[in-house]
Amino acid sequence: MALGGSVQIRHVDAGSCNGCEVEIGSAFGPVYDAERYGARLVASPRHADALLVTGVVTRNMAAPLRRTFEAVPGPKLVVAVGDCARNRGVFAGAYGVVGPVSDVVPVDVEIAGCPPRPEAIVEGLRKLTGR
Amino acid sequence: MNSAINTAGAGLGTAGALAVCTALVATAAPARVRPVVGSVGTALTGAAGVAAGIAAVAGQSMSVTLPGVLPLSGVSWTLDALGGLFIAVTGAVAVAGSVYAISYTRSHGLESRGVQAVFPLFVAAMLVVPAAASVGTLLVCWELMALTSLLLVLAEHRQRDEVTDAGRWYAVMTHLGFLAILAGLLTFAAHAGDDSFAALRRAAHTMPPWVAGVVFVATLIGFGSKAGIVPLHAWLARAHPEAPSHVSALMSAGMVNLGIYGIIRVGQDLLGGGPRWWWLLVLALGAVSAVYGILQAAMSTDLKRLLGQSTTENMGLVLVGVGAAGLFATAGQQVLAGLALGAALLHVINHAAFKSLLFLAAGSVLRATGTRDLDNLGGLRAGMPITTGLFGWGALAASALPPGTAFVSEWLLLQALIHGLPSSGGVTSTVTAIAMPVAVAAVALTAGLAVATFIKAFGVGFLAKPRTEAAAQARESPPLMLAGMGLAAAASVVLAVLPGVVLPGIGSAVAAAGVGGESGSARAAAGVVTLRLVGVTGALSPLVLVLALLGASLLTAGVVRAVTAGRVGGARRVARLWDCGGGPLSSRMEYTATSFAEPLQRVFDDVVAPETDVDVDHHEESRYLVRTVEYRRRVPDRIEQRLYQPLLKAVAAWGVAGRGLASGSVHRYLGYGFYTVCALLLLLAVTR
Repeated sequence: MALGGSVQIRHVDAGSCNGCEVEIGSAFGPVYDAERYGARLVASPRHADALLVTGVVTRNMAAPLRRTFEAVPGPKLVVAVGDCARNRGVFAGAYGVVGPVSDVVPVDVEIAGCPPRPEAIVEGLRKLTGR
Repeated sequence: MNSAINTAGAGLGTAGALAVCTALVATAAPARVRPVVGSVGTALTGAAGVAAGIAAVAGQSMSVTLPGVLPLSGVSWTLDALGGLFIAVTGAVAVAGSVYAISYTRSHGLESRGVQAVFPLFVAAMLVVPAAASVGTLLVCWELMALTSLLLVLAEHRQRDEVTDAGRWYAVMTHLGFLAILAGLLTFAAHAGDDSFAALRRAAHTMPPWVAGVVFVATLIGFGSKAGIVPLHAWLARAHPEAPSHVSALMSAGMVNLGIYGIIRVGQDLLGGGPRWWWLLVLALGAVSAVYGILQAAMSTDLKRLLGQSTTENMGLVLVGVGAAGLFATAGQQVLAGLALGAALLHVINHAAFKSLLFLAAGSVLRATGTRDLDNLGGLRAGMPITTGLFGWGALAASALPPGTAFVSEWLLLQALIHGLPSSGGVTSTVTAIAMPVAVAAVALTAGLAVATFIKAFGVGFLAKPRTEAAAQARESPPLMLAGMGLAAAASVVLAVLPGVVLPGIGSAVAAAGVGGESGSARAAAGVVTLRLVGVTGALSPLVLVLALLGASLLTAGVVRAVTAGRVGGARRVARLWDCGGGPLSSRMEYTATSFAEPLQRVFDDVVAPETDVDVDHHEESRYLVRTVEYRRRVPDRIEQRLYQPLLKAVAAWGVAGRGLASGSVHRYLGYGFYTVCALLLLLAVTR
């Protein structure tokens, strides 16, 4: 699964409460500094090796998430960040929800937590970079 | 009447006779066949003009005097190489324009007798202006040209209100220009004692310098206003867009050239050069026109207005060449003078080729979509592939990039200017040392802005997605319109690839203007494939350049294909265009002409002084919710606002003030007449 030391990541908010975004921000901040392990956030799926998907997939974001996944050049990986992305979390049963990320695109790595701690995110990304 | 029967004379005579016959037949013919009759006759007139012009450039001379036609002075025509060059250019533009007009006038509701009968007369008037050999003949032909073109500008006055306004501007400015020419040439003729050009040439040396200066400045104002030179350009950007497109092409590619012809004829030939300040003035006017014209064009969103403003730019570049030629000639640098004037004349020819193509293509767009506003066009590539291709070539030809047409002449012009620098053995004087680098900078800035302008015109107008239903429904023009554009395009391709074919003709025209000395050094450049400058070092091979560019493009495409095909797992994947995962991209996301020009507008904010207006409409329930935002930008012509508006206001105020004198009483009016006669008698008594 490791991608040889350097992974370009595109973040997709599929319907998150923004709690996971705050933690991702911390993971790439000066304290946890995920970039030193070779993970880097990029601005377009065309530049990416992996998608970092947060939140439960809502109706409005299902198609854009699928298109974003199709836009990533292969080989590609998907990381589901947070409990909502893994199994709907607190939004289970809500009316506008399509399902967890794995219902829409194939998921390779899951990071648990509501929200996951930055250490957990860095740990999950290190599985991708292999460093 | 004495006349030598040769191709030049026969061609010009045939052209005149054909034009008159066509006008008569077109008046009599039924509306159904009128466009065919009028346009075919005009095309033949143009062809006869081309034959006469080429014969004159090749060395034939022709001289006709008809003493009885005009009272007092009669009419006399003489054809030399300089006039022949302009006649050939005008005739060629007329051929392309008339072939186009057969279909265009039919589909545009221009079958009226007026338009069809005046069109050949306009062409004929333009053909005889450069052959005029006396002041009286020149003025009559000039006025005929102005009147016929005015009638053609007004052709669509029933469809659009702006046409009347444009016509009024054109009428006033062209007649003020005519007055300036009249004043200048009559002063000249009064000193010469005769109005034939031969007598003027003889008298030029004995004339006091200040009279020569007055003559030159007056004719420069008159001819410059016809050439659309800043600050006398206000009519051009109005009249050229509002005229029917084939007339726009003729005005922009044929008529404005005659302003340049007049300046060269009077300044170089009749007055035989002159002091340095004349040519510095011409150079400065040219440089200002070039930069200001293209800057206005870069801001413009109206396709035909943009082309008209680009005409001001190109005439400015030509004047830079003319001014530099005069400057070098006064300094005794005949070789450089020949080179600069040759570059200017080559640019006249090149500009005629690509500008007629562009105006005809713009007319094609107007016919298909009904609009000239670039912000409402786009996506014409799908419906009008041939017009798109032709306009694309025209846009490339108009920007000074290889393999375009303007590149060759602007390269020659820059060579002349750079070789004129004191450090490269040119003219050693402080004024030249300052003027030449500034002129080079102005030409370079113009070239850069022209590229941006034509990328905007082509990219926003023809590529991407259509912005309106009209643009989406656009269909290709009929074959005859395409043929007219094709003729102009073919001419500009030949000029771009093999400019050597016209250089001998330009050499003899330069010699006929009295620049470049008596020896063979009048030839500015020689060689068909490779242009070699005569007298100074410099060479250019447009054909080789084109082949190299084509080769490099093919090589790049081949390498990219080979690399992508040989890649591991190189199966091609068809992917959706990345649109951020949302819906498909819409035409509202495209660059508009306004937004494309915005960075340039910001750079030149102090020069163009745009007026922007933002209207925000709020929701009723909360000021924080915006319902609509409307943004408008207008780039008014600043020179026009500062120079013309105060003048017009003053004239209007004067008229209002004068109204007090007109009380309606006949006694009072008789009194005015009486006092005026008394005042005149007193004046005569004092001065005599």
